Amino acid sequence: MGIPLYPVHLEDPLFQGFYDGLDAGELRITADAETGEWVWYPPEVVPGKPDAVLEWRTVSGEGKAYTYTTVVRSLLPGDHKAEVPYTVILFEPDDAPGVRVAGILVDDEGVEPACDMRLRFRPVDAGDHRIPGFAPVR
Amino acid sequence: MQGNTIAVTGVGETAFLRKGEESVMHMMTRASLAAITDAGLKPTDIDGYVSNKYAGHPSEEVAYAIGAGERRFTAVADTAGGTATTGDALRLAQLAIEAGLARHVLVPYAIRSTKPGGVYGFHAREPQKAGLEMPVGFFGQPTYFATMANRYAHEFGMSEEELAAVAITYRAWAAITPHAQRREAMDLEGYRQSPMISTPLRVADCCLTTDAGCAYVVSSTEAARDLPHPVVAVQGVGIGYNNYPHGVLFSQKPSTFDYPGWESAAQAYAMAGVDPKDLDLAQVYDGFSISALVQTEMLGLCERGEGARFYAAGHAMPGGKMPINTSGGHMSGGYVPGINLLIEGVRQLRGQEGERQVPDARLCAVAGLGGNNHSTTILARI
Repeated sequence: MGIPLYPVHLEDPLFQGFYDGLDAGELRITADAETGEWVWYPPEVVPGKPDAVLEWRTVSGEGKAYTYTTVVRSLLPGDHKAEVPYTVILFEPDDAPGVRVAGILVDDEGVEPACDMRLRFRPVDAGDHRIPGFAPVR
Repeated sequence: MQGNTIAVTGVGETAFLRKGEESVMHMMTRASLAAITDAGLKPTDIDGYVSNKYAGHPSEEVAYAIGAGERRFTAVADTAGGTATTGDALRLAQLAIEAGLARHVLVPYAIRSTKPGGVYGFHAREPQKAGLEMPVGFFGQPTYFATMANRYAHEFGMSEEELAAVAITYRAWAAITPHAQRREAMDLEGYRQSPMISTPLRVADCCLTTDAGCAYVVSSTEAARDLPHPVVAVQGVGIGYNNYPHGVLFSQKPSTFDYPGWESAAQAYAMAGVDPKDLDLAQVYDGFSISALVQTEMLGLCERGEGARFYAAGHAMPGGKMPINTSGGHMSGGYVPGINLLIEGVRQLRGQEGERQVPDARLCAVAGLGGNNHSTTILARI
């Protein structure tokens, strides 16, 4: 399986904390700093709370796949033929109900992707940055 | 709103091309003039417009291009895809006509799928997709809808053969539609030869790449009686919405394939005073096979979770009990989002479709998906 190589543009500071977490080997999600309620993806305005402050919180990395697909033809802008196939996962952390993190399936030799399969967070290198990887729990 | 107070009095389109040479404005103009002529009207009779924000041309440009008279009413559909061009536009037209603000409302649309930047360019500009999804390769409608298909199959069961039946059905209709883009026969083996994009969706499961324009004219039912064609009235319209912006719609919505079609269908049937069993045929927004079969369920044409098996049983095929996408839909006929499906519904109810005419067609549902919204329209020959 391949790994998508697409540049991460962090001109938007909304996502810096996520990639800082990946560099530290952690999966970090945004939450309302006052209430602790998960707010994901980090929006420009927290719904109903324009004064709310978001903070990044680390989750355990244990969870399951809501769904998946194996990308055979990349639709990313540019030429990405050499990077396919890879399997995209929408990961649901056990300790962040209602949150889904997009990532790729890793360490999956001999395992067919499936909805609700148990997964564990394992970030992977993708060029000059890291992206979320999720490995099957065997 | 009451049903049967407005009618679609004129329809028109340009040729459906894989790659055309004309601009969106040029195609919209040709389609608009064709629709106005079809209605037995002149451009100077058009006094209302419902534009579409994705077409990129406001009504004054269209009015100027067609040589129209005074504009008395303009509005812009705020939705996307098949909602904007069908249910949303029809609601706005009905409001204008019933309020006496316009007599004949033009609804034009055109698409250049081959434009620079591609059809997914607008998603690439969404910060959350650029920041969190594109770096992991989760990008483009076929990929989003493929994840829906796998989740749907997990919850309800769906074999490859059952999913394939959607594409095979629409291709069977396209084969007897002279203006359809993909008319060559396709069986299960042919489907399996279609290149995979994102499992389980193949090229054959996706809408076509089309450069074309379509337009229609809406008038009061009373005015329609003096125009050339049998009266095809709008008997019911319903629109369902959710508030998930496109940046989070395909990942964070609790059920990613639970479009607001249940709401739109309930509204439309209530306004029309009919049930799904009263329909003679349907046109269903088939951006993808998976979304089409889910909407087939939402229209009440089969039970929840039985959409794929409904198609596999042949019910939507020519000669089936509920013909669906009778000009090949967006997957085999052509992709001018939503609007060419509405036009096909109108023509079927006029009874002028030749080989593919559904016998004695008097009631047609048109389902339009627009991501975070969905419309159901009930057209009736009265």
